[in-house]
Order: sequence, then structure tokens, then C-alpha cells
Amino acid sequence: MEPRDLDPKRELNVAEWVDHEMASLGHEEWQPDLHRGLALLRAPSGTTGSRRRWTWAAAAVLATCFSLMAMPGPRAFAERCVSACVSGTGWIRELLAGGASGPTPSNVYVKPGNRTMAPDFALEDASGQPVRLSQLRGNVVLVNFWATWCAPCRVEIPMLLGFEKTYRDRNFKILGIALDDGGWSLVRPYADARNISYPILLGNQGIADLFGLKAVPTTFVIDRQGRIAATHIGLCQKSEYEGDIKAVLNERITP
Amino acid sequence: MKPNEEWLDIERIFRLHYTRLAQVIARVVRDPARAEELAVEVCLKWSARRITDAENSERWLYRAAVRSGLNELRHQVRRSRYERVVSFVRGSPTPEELLAARQEQERVRLLLATIKPREAELLVLRSQGFTYEELAAILHLNPASIGTLLSRAQQTFRKEYTRRYGTPRLGSKT
Repeated sequence: MEPRDLDPKRELNVAEWVDHEMASLGHEEWQPDLHRGLALLRAPSGTTGSRRRWTWAAAAVLATCFSLMAMPGPRAFAERCVSACVSGTGWIRELLAGGASGPTPSNVYVKPGNRTMAPDFALEDASGQPVRLSQLRGNVVLVNFWATWCAPCRVEIPMLLGFEKTYRDRNFKILGIALDDGGWSLVRPYADARNISYPILLGNQGIADLFGLKAVPTTFVIDRQGRIAATHIGLCQKSEYEGDIKAVLNERITP
Repeated sequence: MKPNEEWLDIERIFRLHYTRLAQVIARVVRDPARAEELAVEVCLKWSARRITDAENSERWLYRAAVRSGLNELRHQVRRSRYERVVSFVRGSPTPEELLAARQEQERVRLLLATIKPREAELLVLRSQGFTYEELAAILHLNPASIGTLLSRAQQTFRKEYTRRYGTPRLGSKT
């Protein structure tokens, strides 16, 4: 308000000028149509522009989706999405469960007295030979459930290769069970490219259910008597794995 | 004013306030028909909010009205900016568009859409003839600082005007 009182000649009278500008907007004597307003009030549906706009936007999005589905690329993607949602170990579930970095890691180590037997299974390896878990009795076996599309699993693989090298001569075995829907055509080139030296088996929904998998990667450490000694869900620290492996390797066989 | 259901019936509220609400909105929204629609929307929103106290209702209604008007204005400005980009591709603007852009009204609308909503609300309601006390009640402000806030809003308005269109002259368009 000061400019008006202090210096009316030199400085522009801001308040007055703004009032003048605002007055140029007009509509002072304008009277709204009461009857039209009342009609709008009594029949509100459809009059609200924003709702109509959203409806149009939703329709446009749907139309775009459908026309995209006609093309092979997005269609394959959508199918993958659907299968991921429906099957138990999908990456979408994984994303929902634990953010971008995979499921929330958890480690469970069970004392020798309280362990339960690992379910036995027989799966084919890359050369078509059946591998049975019970054949490996007497070894400490690390069973790693993974998939080629699972980023944390891919991080684990070099770690597992390291363990295999270190503990090979102490009756330590690793089994990698791949849960890819694409089968060997996806898994075999991947395993070859990474020089995975431990046996890779192709898993299925049955084995995932058998072990009660909720996410990949999930890793079980199975002791010399075929009992589950430790369960790791999600990407865990190398030291956590190594601690469990060492503990199980150092156990004496108790009758 | 007893706060019962009947008194705060939506049609009664509508009859009491519709004209003024529509006028507040029409100040900033170009299209009078759209202003009427928005005023009705404000009334409907009020009834959805179930505000039981008459005095509160009144404040709420005018606050909602000025906000919905300014929102609409901002939408319009954004849309016209988009249309300008499109028309750049399409061809030259029509004479009507050129005339509209030159008009003082359009300048004021553009400025109101550009400055802070809080300040724009103050200016619009003030130009609609609300007193300082009413302004303070509607916008939840301290009555003692309304004068300062208003003059600050006016300064902002002028600064923005100067930035866009050069030094303003009083009575350039009478």
C-alpha cells in the first residue's frame, strides 16, 4: 500500500493499477442462469467435465493397449507378465514382495537336532542324466533355485562358483535348479557362457512346490544326512552363506 | 442459523450462493457456461463434504470456488500453450486468436495463472468486492496481515506483468 501514499507521481500506483487490471476481466454484472444451474445440480451425472475427461482417457489407454497386443513383441511381454503373476515364482511377485532388489533376504539356520529331511527329487541335468538328491547323501549339498531372468540370482552365481572351488575336496556339492519356463534352450547357453561348473538341473512347478518356494533366489544347505540345515531367501551376503556352509561342513555325523 | 440437515440442504445453499459463486469463477474463467458448471460442481462437492456448520460452509464454498476457477484457468492456459505448439506445426494463427492474445483480459488471466495460487486467490476475491475480514475468513489467513499479503500479491502481479509485457501504464486501456 505504501507507494500510493509516498510517491503518487513518479511511481505507478500499484494497488489502483491492479484493481483496474482485474476490473478488465469484466463479468461484474453478469448473472448466471439459475435454471440451468439448478438443472445441472439435479442431474449431476455426465455434467462434470473432469469425469468425462477421465473416461475418455481410460478408453484411450485401453484402446492403445489392445492395439499394442496385436503386435508380437508386446504380446509376448504380456504373456510373460501373466505367467509370472500366475506361477508361484514370478519376477512380478518378487518385485511386489521386495522392491527392485528382489525379495527381502532372510537366513534361517537350524540346529542339527531340529532339522527336517529335505524332500527327495530327481531331475535331469544338461546332458539328460537324471540326478537324484539322495544319491548325494554323505555330501553337504547346496541347492540353489534360480532363473536366468532373475537379477539377484545372476549375482549369486560367481559367489557359488567360488564356494565350489574352495570346498570341493571336503565333499561339498552344488546343484543349481533353474526355474525358467523357456527350458534348456534358455538355460544351457547361459550356463555355458558363465562357465558354470556345478550341475545345473531344470526345475518345474512341482519341485518349487515341493520345497515351498516363495521367491527366487532361494538356497538350501543340506547336511550329510539329507536334512535341511539352512535356508536363504533372496540375495544374501557372501559371509552369511559361507558361515552356514562351514558350520555344516564341520559338523560330525551324529547317529 | 441452526445447523440441521434442512437448513444446509444443497438446494438452499445453491439458491443462496450460486450467483455469487458463479460470478467469482466467471472472473477468471473465460466461458460463462463453464463458470456455471464449475459453480454447480462446487455445490456438489460441498454436499459430499457434509459440512454441518453454516458459517464454515460459506467460507468453504468461496474458497472452493476461487480455487476451482483458478484451476480451470491454469488448465486453459496449459491447453492453449499446447495448442500453440500444435498450431506452430499446423500453420499461422487465425486473426481471432491474435486479437484475443492482445486483449488485456487475456494478459490478466495469463498472469493469474502464472503467479502463486495463494496470491491469485487474494486478488480475485478482492476484485470481487470481498472485505478484508471476509478474505481472511475464506482463505484461513490472519486478518491483521491481509493488507500486507494483498499488497505483496499486487507487487508480484505487477512484476510479472512488467516481465512479460513491459512497464504498465495506468489508463492505457479505458
